[in-house]
Amino acid sequence: MTGESPQLQTSMTTMTSMTSTTPTAVLIEDVHVRYRVLEQQQLGLADIVKRGMRSRRSIEVHAVRGVSLEILTGESVGLLGPNGSGKSTLLRCIAGVQTLASGRVLVSGKPQLLAVNAALDPKLSGRRNIFLGGLAMGLTKAEIENRIGEVVDFAELVDAIDRPMRTYSSGMKARLTFSIATMSEPPILLIDEALAVGDKRFRRKSLERINQIRERASTVVMVTHNLNEIKSTCSRAVWLADGQIVMDGPTDDVVKAYEASED
Amino acid sequence: MTSLDPRSASASKPEHAGLRDARETDKLAVYIAELWRRRSWTWYVASSEMRSRQINSLLGNIWHVLSPLLQIGVFFVIFGLVLEVDRGVDNFIGYLAVGIFVYQFTQKTVVAGSKSLVKYERLMQIVSFPRALIPLTTTLTETLATIPAYGVMFVMVTASGEQPKLSWLLVLPLLGLQAIFTAGLALVMARAVHHVYDVSQILPFLFRLGFYASGVLFNVNAFLEGKSWRVLFEINPLYCFIELNRAVVLDGGTIDWSLLFNAVVWTVVVAVGGLLWFRAAEDSYGDR
Repeated sequence: MTGESPQLQTSMTTMTSMTSTTPTAVLIEDVHVRYRVLEQQQLGLADIVKRGMRSRRSIEVHAVRGVSLEILTGESVGLLGPNGSGKSTLLRCIAGVQTLASGRVLVSGKPQLLAVNAALDPKLSGRRNIFLGGLAMGLTKAEIENRIGEVVDFAELVDAIDRPMRTYSSGMKARLTFSIATMSEPPILLIDEALAVGDKRFRRKSLERINQIRERASTVVMVTHNLNEIKSTCSRAVWLADGQIVMDGPTDDVVKAYEASED
Repeated sequence: MTSLDPRSASASKPEHAGLRDARETDKLAVYIAELWRRRSWTWYVASSEMRSRQINSLLGNIWHVLSPLLQIGVFFVIFGLVLEVDRGVDNFIGYLAVGIFVYQFTQKTVVAGSKSLVKYERLMQIVSFPRALIPLTTTLTETLATIPAYGVMFVMVTASGEQPKLSWLLVLPLLGLQAIFTAGLALVMARAVHHVYDVSQILPFLFRLGFYASGVLFNVNAFLEGKSWRVLFEINPLYCFIELNRAVVLDGGTIDWSLLFNAVVWTVVVAVGGLLWFRAAEDSYGDR
């Protein structure tokens, strides 16, 4: 990129094409996340007149309380813990879509959440949705065209790909979504409880693909309740409760301790 | 928003050099560059939406033609024939047609843009991108939808007795300028509705008021000759766009340069100001 100022160069554009050469993939430094849960999510005029812009009918949730974590390139880390422990919120912090109350999250490449279904349109065909999902993740049309055959094959949807997605079964939708999300070969892949989909055979395929992604020195961070998944995919596990880290270490040790605590 | 300067990212250890803040709220130049980089996504969403609208309802497409026809017919009968408000206008049907299509372009687009952040809330929780992309994509979609609507407008104008002229081509750049203005307004309303939901209920009412205040139904020159508050119309951007389009479609292209100047100034102010104002609340969109 000749002629461009240094500031423009250090943008998300270069991040997307950057291959991760730094030893650290994700650095979470004393992160706190707070959000307000309003009784009524949207403020109406009546509420503002009565109570001002900050409606008092709200609770503040301190979802993440001072979490610090370093994840190395090529590691696969599982986040486990009870509901409400802040696992999904922390994942979104890594993805860069969550506002932090304090602290910071540094990443070596552009992270990608597996759930791209929010970018898809069920009225359109599977093929068009592959483009929608790919473009949402930051790929160019040309890159998508190069990979579209592989995406369709992996999802096993060769016959159905030109039908509208709303005609697909839930298994087909899940397979396509997973296939689209892994099309972009993200340097940091973030998975939020999205693997328990499809039949046993497809689940095995999905885990294989995640392992392939790991082998290409990408980093994987996964939130799941399925302890078997963590054991088969992750080398390291972090146990979260009430927004804080309880334990961080080799998967077997942490899972054993976690299971013991649940009894 | 983090309290630390993202540029000190590589502060502590050498192996942390080259790490970037995951929540990079970029400088304006980078924000705009990223908007530009994402343009094929915007274009793809807009054209896919057009495609599915066309396929989905034949009756819907007929309605797109019938509805303005009926509207113009009713206005013509009541305001033209009964109330004789068509003072100063040769071709009242053509006059109404241009006014209504031009006004409704901005009206429909801004109303859709105001609700766009709500519609794509889930998407913002999953993917990181400049949030201005959402109202801008909605604006592009509605602009594409307006092109066939303008086709209906030209058919009506021809049917009402005008000959197709070369000056009609100028409607395209005017539409482009109005689209930029409308995009800015859509950004403003998207943020406003995000902060106070009731604005989305008030907005259609405001546009209805604007309808009467923009000279859609009557010729301002004929009724307000010499009156001082005529200037209020001339500074109304929608009045400017409507009159410019009428000049090009009905009067063979004699443009009032002061109206064009007003339209351009409004467009620049609303587009730039709208984007900056929208971006100021960037962190608040899509959060729980």
